[in-house]
Amino acid sequence: MIFPNESGRLPSPGDSVGGVDLDRVWTGVAAEVWRRHPGRLERTAARLLRSPGLARALVTTPSLLLPWLISTVVVFAVGALVSLGPGQSLVWLIAPAVAAVGIAFAYGPGIDPAWELSSSCAVPDRMVLLTRVVAVFALDAVLGLLASVASGAAAALTFGWLLPMTAVSTLALAAAVAARSATVGAAAGLAAWVITVLAGRTASGQLTASVTSADAYLPYLAVAACCTAAAIYAARPERGLQ
Amino acid sequence: MNVALTDIHRSFGKNRAVDGVDLQLGTGVFGLLGPNGAGKTSMLRMLATVLPPTSGEIRLLERDPRRPAARREIRRRLGYLPQNLGYYPSFTVVEFIEYFALLKEIPSPQVPKAVAVAMERVDLGAKARAKLRTLSGGMLRRVGIAQAIVNDPDLLLLDEPTAGLDPEQRVQFRALMRSLGESVTVIVSTHLVEDVGAACSEVALMSAGKIVFRGTPEELTARGEGHSVGDAPLERGYSAVLAAARS
Repeated sequence: MIFPNESGRLPSPGDSVGGVDLDRVWTGVAAEVWRRHPGRLERTAARLLRSPGLARALVTTPSLLLPWLISTVVVFAVGALVSLGPGQSLVWLIAPAVAAVGIAFAYGPGIDPAWELSSSCAVPDRMVLLTRVVAVFALDAVLGLLASVASGAAAALTFGWLLPMTAVSTLALAAAVAARSATVGAAAGLAAWVITVLAGRTASGQLTASVTSADAYLPYLAVAACCTAAAIYAARPERGLQ
Repeated sequence: MNVALTDIHRSFGKNRAVDGVDLQLGTGVFGLLGPNGAGKTSMLRMLATVLPPTSGEIRLLERDPRRPAARREIRRRLGYLPQNLGYYPSFTVVEFIEYFALLKEIPSPQVPKAVAVAMERVDLGAKARAKLRTLSGGMLRRVGIAQAIVNDPDLLLLDEPTAGLDPEQRVQFRALMRSLGESVTVIVSTHLVEDVGAACSEVALMSAGKIVFRGTPEELTARGEGHSVGDAPLERGYSAVLAAARS
């Protein structure tokens, strides 16, 4: 209850009543009323990622509608391409990178309206992008699982592309958080994917073709360059956080 | 010194946006004046650590932003309002400011109060739950200012902060700048000379990527004596210095 003061005027913020700073009281009340209570998913993500900022980026990813739509189209298009060329090492090896670049473009300087502002914040922008990649793949995988009930093609896409990519991007994010470097995380995810693809080829007796095919040289070189760069970066004496 | 720039250059292709700037700044409100294309926004983007210089040395808050760990620490203590504030239309005012508070790594328990304080300082309390898509240009500018000050920054960079504000809001905002400038470094890029006269303790004038004048608003005014272009004394000083730099 607010009472008029001696002059008959209602107290306003800035007044002191009975030694109570009304400004401070009002700010405390406003903070409680306005605050957004994070859900269980966000609280868990904040603990796992060791960053409430990354957790908020994770859960708000689908709410940025245009980047979300573009990312989903890119992910499904690359998935369809993978389905069309299941025997091609090159397609398999570069597909995750193409999808990740598409998502990074949609949520990066290409389309994200607040990108410049995000880039000036303490949480590294590459870590935010890696978090976005996980969110896009994970939610697309959930959508794929739901569609799998009705369609065999959707099941193939989900189990052959969306779920493995969710796993790979999650591994990349985990490595990035552990190493405190998005570059290390991306290299770890890519390396895991290459090992998986080559292991699959070995199991089917196509390893020689995978290694000797001229088509595969470029992705192999790219992966090697990424791993080398990540190793040099991680081994620096004063490793940073970008 | 919170800001120390030594021979900073920044080029975009053949265009030299910033061409050999030296600057040392402590606390206070520092106005960066200049015509369009003078290099003000590039300067502020370099100070905000979102754009690296082509050459030269920058030290912010006694740290070298080229080093990732130092850059992260600088960014924790930095407030930045870009010229074109991009926003997420589906976010509410509180959600937007809170999101950037978290990205600035304010400890989680302190975030709600920091957001409330920032919103009150720019008089946005009545719009706390409004979606950003429903706000006017002036309101959005205030949201941008609120996110810039939410972490109580030691270095505050404001690019055209009063664009879109009505006269009453501009007066309030200048008072806010003066109050902030008592304890932190505030750098305001603007082409509105009256903002500088009312709020800044020091001013620099940029032209073609160079700082062609540095001094107090009174010293800039004095440069305009006998100069005919401009309605107000400070505007005449601004025009006189620019004309001399171009000749």
